[in-house]
Amino acid sequence: MKRLKKEIIFYLIPLPLIFLSLFIGPSEQVGPIEILDWVLRKTTLLSFPGPTYDSMVETIVLHVRLPRVLLTFFAGAALTASGTSLQALFRNPLVSPDILGISSGAAFGAALALTSTWLPLQLTAFVFGLIAVGLSYFIAQRKGDVSLTSLILSGIIVNGIFTSLLTIVQFLTDPFKLQTIVHWTMGNLHHANWSKWESAFFPILLGGVWLYGMRWRMNVLSLGDEETRAVGLDPKREKIRILIPATLIASASVAVAGVIGMVGLAVPHIVRMMVGPDNTRTMPVSFAFGGIFLLLVDNFSRTVASFEVPIGIFTTLIGGSFFVYLLKRAQDLYQLER
Amino acid sequence: MAIIVKDLSFGYGEKTILRHLNFHVPAGKFTALLGRNGSGKSTLLRLIAGFIKPKSGSIEVCGVNVTSLSLAERAKRIGFLPQVHYPAFPFTVEEVVLTGRAAYVFSTPTNQDRERAKSAMRRIGIEDISNRPYTELSGGERQLVMIARVLAQEPKIMLLDEPLLSLDLLNQVKILNILKSLVASGLTVVAVLHDPNIAFRYGDHFVFLKNGMISNPERSDGFHNAHMLADVYGIKIEVIPVRNKFFIVPDPEGTEE
Repeated sequence: MKRLKKEIIFYLIPLPLIFLSLFIGPSEQVGPIEILDWVLRKTTLLSFPGPTYDSMVETIVLHVRLPRVLLTFFAGAALTASGTSLQALFRNPLVSPDILGISSGAAFGAALALTSTWLPLQLTAFVFGLIAVGLSYFIAQRKGDVSLTSLILSGIIVNGIFTSLLTIVQFLTDPFKLQTIVHWTMGNLHHANWSKWESAFFPILLGGVWLYGMRWRMNVLSLGDEETRAVGLDPKREKIRILIPATLIASASVAVAGVIGMVGLAVPHIVRMMVGPDNTRTMPVSFAFGGIFLLLVDNFSRTVASFEVPIGIFTTLIGGSFFVYLLKRAQDLYQLER
Repeated sequence: MAIIVKDLSFGYGEKTILRHLNFHVPAGKFTALLGRNGSGKSTLLRLIAGFIKPKSGSIEVCGVNVTSLSLAERAKRIGFLPQVHYPAFPFTVEEVVLTGRAAYVFSTPTNQDRERAKSAMRRIGIEDISNRPYTELSGGERQLVMIARVLAQEPKIMLLDEPLLSLDLLNQVKILNILKSLVASGLTVVAVLHDPNIAFRYGDHFVFLKNGMISNPERSDGFHNAHMLADVYGIKIEVIPVRNKFFIVPDPEGTEE
């Protein structure tokens, strides 16, 4: 109970933040007053004086902003939780869904599904995400051992492969669909709607619950393979049990929101700085804080300019500089030389 | 007998590492495993721990064949301390010790598991550093933490692969005394040691490995058999008797063989 007190703030923020985020948007007719007015009349019988815009407010709030805000929150939660589990699993604080190729694999799979008429979006993204991370791991492996740097290097190779494949898909796509794909690869929540939310919700929920159940085993695994075996767990089996849901939630997020770079790398570190490395605490906080983080960045990206800047650009700029800082500090922080 | 090894052989591919080993480890005693680098000591410990499967022969632990046990069942009987451990994340000492409970835990540790981890830390005398990050500890402290982790596992047998590696004399003695007290409380300890003097001071029983085979001392207390030790290590050895005890020193005159 004492442990929970400190973190409770992370679980209290999301709902009010989601609510407040509904007020943010470009529409001039639907401002905060109109929304408050609408909410008041929906919940009580009170009303502000003046004209009402019921149907418009309802459309914008319920069918444009709400799905977007929820999707943003879920995408942030998924990417962060995936990053946290991958870092524990590979005992490597420098990996993330982007760096291991999951994002570009899933992006290629999703693009393939978007251009075809029969491939299921979520499943294709997941399968290619899994292929990508499997490939990264396989290439990095030498005599059953995977070193920190070789994993990052093989991730670069796999990323390159799937980014090229994605370009081929774009090249072969008719111009009408091309724009959608290009916008979406940049990491974009602009086109969020209820059907996207529905397609991402179940994979993320399933993978999330699964990872939550594995949270303490991540502690065991991050001590090393031999140390895991010594206490009675099979490291290979446990790794697969974490890798599958971690890939599932990251791919699901990529499939609907595109590649929102660096969230899965930077935010887990911020979470660990706040609550420490114990995964029984970082896992739930990763879900909550990952959602909060991405929603805040999205709110910012929606208000900072008169046009909307794709969120992936912001997160990559923030996360990229953070990664440089990490690389510089990692040597002292995590005793990387092994 | 805590461990009975019968006609055990092991190798990778064409390469044979252990040849027809036959020996036993008495229960409730401190057994020292000695031999040159590459003589197969670590491999032997990993075989007993059940991490790898023998090519032929059998290993009985507490009356059960090791290969017939699941990893979790094995972990409840046999604790294993791997060689020097490199941590990746700054977990606290308590979190590290708690991972020793993995074989008993379904998803997350219960209060009982936390209690067991705490009592393991008390037994080793590290409860005062339980909240410190493991990454900031000295080599000696880390080794104590890892031993507490094995204790939290509540095994009947503890296997230690070079527990004194790169420790100063004070920390070596600290660890040895702890192992001694664990043995006194009924645990069976098997440790790979390098210094024969230390092994003879603290050990009750000795197993020597040479080229994947057992070189057993003629006397069961393993003492002062200079010829046998010279054979195991391939060097000339002098035995110096001092007040009922014997000290073994290498003879600088050169190597045998």
